[in-house]
Amino acid sequence: MTSNSEDILKIENIEVMYDSVISALHDVSLTVPRGKIVALLGGNGAGKSTTLKAISTMLASERGKVTKGKITYDGTSVINQNPTEMVGLGMVQVLEGRRCFGHLTVEENIITGAYSRKLTNSEMRDELDKIYTYFNRLKDRRKSQAGFTSGGEQQMLAVARAMMAKPKMLLLDEPSMGLAPQLVSEIFKIVKELNDKEGVSILLAEQNTNIALRNSDYGYIIETGNVKLHGTAEKLLNNDEVKELYLGISKEGRKNFRDALREEGSTKKENKFSKTN
Amino acid sequence: MTELLFFVEVVVAGLLAGTMYSLVALGFVLIYKASSTFNFAQGAMVFFAVLAFVGFMELGLPFFLAFIVTILLMGLVGYCTERLVLKPLMNQSEDTLLMATIGLGFVLEGLAQAAWGVEVRRLDLGIGDFPIQWIIDTFGLFVSALDLTAGLVAASLILGLSVLFKYTKMGLGLRAVADDPGAASSIGIPLNNIMLLVWTAAGVVALVAGMMWGARAGVQFALVDLALKALPVLIIGGFSSIPGAIVGGLIIGATEKVLEVYIGPYFGGAIEGWAPYVLAIFFLLYRPEGLFGEKIIRRV
Repeated sequence: MTSNSEDILKIENIEVMYDSVISALHDVSLTVPRGKIVALLGGNGAGKSTTLKAISTMLASERGKVTKGKITYDGTSVINQNPTEMVGLGMVQVLEGRRCFGHLTVEENIITGAYSRKLTNSEMRDELDKIYTYFNRLKDRRKSQAGFTSGGEQQMLAVARAMMAKPKMLLLDEPSMGLAPQLVSEIFKIVKELNDKEGVSILLAEQNTNIALRNSDYGYIIETGNVKLHGTAEKLLNNDEVKELYLGISKEGRKNFRDALREEGSTKKENKFSKTN
Repeated sequence: MTELLFFVEVVVAGLLAGTMYSLVALGFVLIYKASSTFNFAQGAMVFFAVLAFVGFMELGLPFFLAFIVTILLMGLVGYCTERLVLKPLMNQSEDTLLMATIGLGFVLEGLAQAAWGVEVRRLDLGIGDFPIQWIIDTFGLFVSALDLTAGLVAASLILGLSVLFKYTKMGLGLRAVADDPGAASSIGIPLNNIMLLVWTAAGVVALVAGMMWGARAGVQFALVDLALKALPVLIIGGFSSIPGAIVGGLIIGATEKVLEVYIGPYFGGAIEGWAPYVLAIFFLLYRPEGLFGEKIIRRV
């Protein structure tokens, strides 16, 4: 076995093709140490979701296939499993775009998360109570139809639902998508808490580089299907290239679009305007 | 007074006949809920199931045993459908699946006739299609015993299925799959088990519907087309609602009988055949999701 037991997930040089012709990942390798949070960063179409789906085996349902390389999860090689088996092994993916069951109530949604486990009624009650301590907001809304709850509540619901499967590892695909900044920090706070108290390892794909790195231990930046940069979260946050390209901070300080335009128009006024921020 | 009594009689007869439509519609609803596909093979399943049932009876099996064996057979049909049709077509468009159900219909029709022949069979459930004396004496109404039985059977099937979906783990899984199969599989709900359950349940419903219709009109190929009468029922009740299938069936049954009796003569009679479709068109215009259909939830 190549993976040491410290790492819950190890991906080695995987290549992914859709429909046997469209290549989505060229060469991606990454490692998630047990009990840590690892961020997978990059823009649209970089291959973040594809990487997560390759791990959770959800790729097959989109006619995608891992054509090279190897994925090892918790000592098991991930080859022909289906998502149900992966959930059984303790790996759950929270899909991009929340994907709650709109016609079910909030509580029913959470209960579906435990489908793979055999729980008695009282055990289920205990599990629900435990989940509600992390997701307070959902407790108040437990009788409402999930389709009518807010985007933030749906994102929490998606994470809560996944946690009901008692995962060892959680794959989060863009938890910040379309949410207000304070909600994003609330969700990341909960994710960090789950990592701390439940010991669940997390691999999260994000476009919001700043908040993702602030809440992670390690980060990978991928671009057009290749790993471009990786390092500890702290190191990446202070990396000049990351600052410039992903955080919008140049060496001269934070820049906004208006400033950048003015700079281009008349380079002489540069100093004057960059101070306004 | 007799006029009113006659009207009540027409409505009651219509309502009870409507439960027969409901039974067929129920089979469509089950499969539509799980895979958002209109199952064109449902009519063929009704025919296949009841023909098999009569076939087993002819082999000398007692009524109850033949019923159980046919249910097992429908389970096998469900299993084969899941393995050979649904699984290879997973994640294809709903239209592809729709076409596949048309094909499945032909296969079932062919299989049934190859195995049990093409002649019309008589099915005797021991319940006659004539009025019950007790009801005539008490209320002065003529109500067919077969209609009444069909009504009771439909009611108990609906009750059973509603309980199954609302309160069991399998039912919760089914409703989750109906909403978002991708998300359901991401949290470990096994899609193939759910599909097997649904197709078997639809097979059982088809058998019961076929027995009721077969007892009235004979077990024959025409049952396949009769099943299409469920279409207006579904449009009115909503494709994804079990109570909708019931209420839709009752509405269709009652209106077609009332229209036939009171308005039919002005059209030269026999408007029963097309009146339900006219009603369905009005629903499509003003309430396309049906009376009980799941509203399309859209947050704005």
